[in-house]
Amino acid sequence: MSGVMRIGHASLRVMDMAAALKHYQNVLGMKKTMEDKHGNVYLKCWDEWDKYSLILTPSDRAGLNHVAYKVEKDSDLDELKRKVEAYGIKTEMLPEGTLPSTGRMLKFNLPSGHEMRLYAHKEFVGTDVGSTNPDPWPDGLKGAGAHWLDHCLLMCELNPEKGINRVAENTKFMTEVLDFYLTEQVVVGPGGAIQAATWMARTTTPHDIAFVGGPRSGLHHIAFFLDEWNDVLKAADVMAKNKVKIDVTPQRHGITRGYTIYFFDPSGNRNETFAGLGYLAQRDRPVTTWTEDHLGSGIFYHTGELVPSFTEVYT
Amino acid sequence: MLDFRPKVSVFVEQTGEAFQCALDESLLRGMLRLGRRGIPAGCVNGGCGVCKVRIVSGEVHQIGPISREHVSAEEEAAGYTLACRVAPKSPVRLQVVGKMEKPFQKGFARAADRDSHRVNEPRTGT
Repeated sequence: MSGVMRIGHASLRVMDMAAALKHYQNVLGMKKTMEDKHGNVYLKCWDEWDKYSLILTPSDRAGLNHVAYKVEKDSDLDELKRKVEAYGIKTEMLPEGTLPSTGRMLKFNLPSGHEMRLYAHKEFVGTDVGSTNPDPWPDGLKGAGAHWLDHCLLMCELNPEKGINRVAENTKFMTEVLDFYLTEQVVVGPGGAIQAATWMARTTTPHDIAFVGGPRSGLHHIAFFLDEWNDVLKAADVMAKNKVKIDVTPQRHGITRGYTIYFFDPSGNRNETFAGLGYLAQRDRPVTTWTEDHLGSGIFYHTGELVPSFTEVYT
Repeated sequence: MLDFRPKVSVFVEQTGEAFQCALDESLLRGMLRLGRRGIPAGCVNGGCGVCKVRIVSGEVHQIGPISREHVSAEEEAAGYTLACRVAPKSPVRLQVVGKMEKPFQKGFARAADRDSHRVNEPRTGT
């Protein structure tokens, strides 16, 4: 089996479609690629070759509908269906066309309750620079000009007093069933016995998905890739121009070593644009562990101080 | 300070303090603009719910969508709203209802606190 390649798309609920479209187009620099009969809008970044990486769905609340990862082969879906079910999690195979321009999707819920979908096919449209003698970047980029949707961070219920740790459960599932590997973790409690946050990869980047413990399940952020530190600064300028609510101004994470800026879309869903691949993630690289007393530095390396809105606010 | 927009007073019951909020900005933006505290601030876009308040007296009007996840229709009718999504029409008195939710439960930090003082105490400026 070849299995999961990378994050494919995120489906987000938005409360004002016009404002959301303006945000994802003018601030992130995505382009609208289609709209379906239900009013869902599909967008992609310039450096992505599949038809969309973000679905915006009109709603009376914010948050994540589902996150989808792309697998290499269609037969992977059958094999993973067996593995997920053997693990004790129910699945549903959604037929081709359930989402436009998208093949069949294997749908299931992570132990944390988040809906995950796997698919092998999505309509190929090409990047904005093409694949033959391409320029390094296209003309007419808007805003931050994000390259691609890179990862998501899901908040998972963690209540040690009740014996609930969905972070550890998700991590175990992702490892044993989807063959992700752990790159970094936060351990807390006596002797560091509680795995309170994890970063996991299938690619060679420090994370393709992350899980952090909290009082309830939710979406912490979806993240978009930029080239370098200067692009992170420019992204912040773009946000100021567009009166975007910035949660955390440009700085470095200890965890993953990324350069980052966090902000909110017009419905309060947190976005990240980040640069710096940090290091080459490998299956045999020793797992980086952050202890409770150094959590602040892990999250915001320079100040070492937790920002309440960053750690305590999510949709 | 060089801001001559018409303003009204917004009184926060929990802190016993008031701030001046312009009629064309949300209660939360008004507070944040002045660098004041009292109402928890999160996404400031109606989605996360941490700035939930109950309007005790005074009139406000809604200036953007409010997540039903955090304010039900019944609550809305009873004066609950999000401070980031309403602007004042008259002097306002409010109660803070929303709160931050700790991602790492408080109890975890106790043992580590005895060995290190970095978790809950800000670093000094040395």
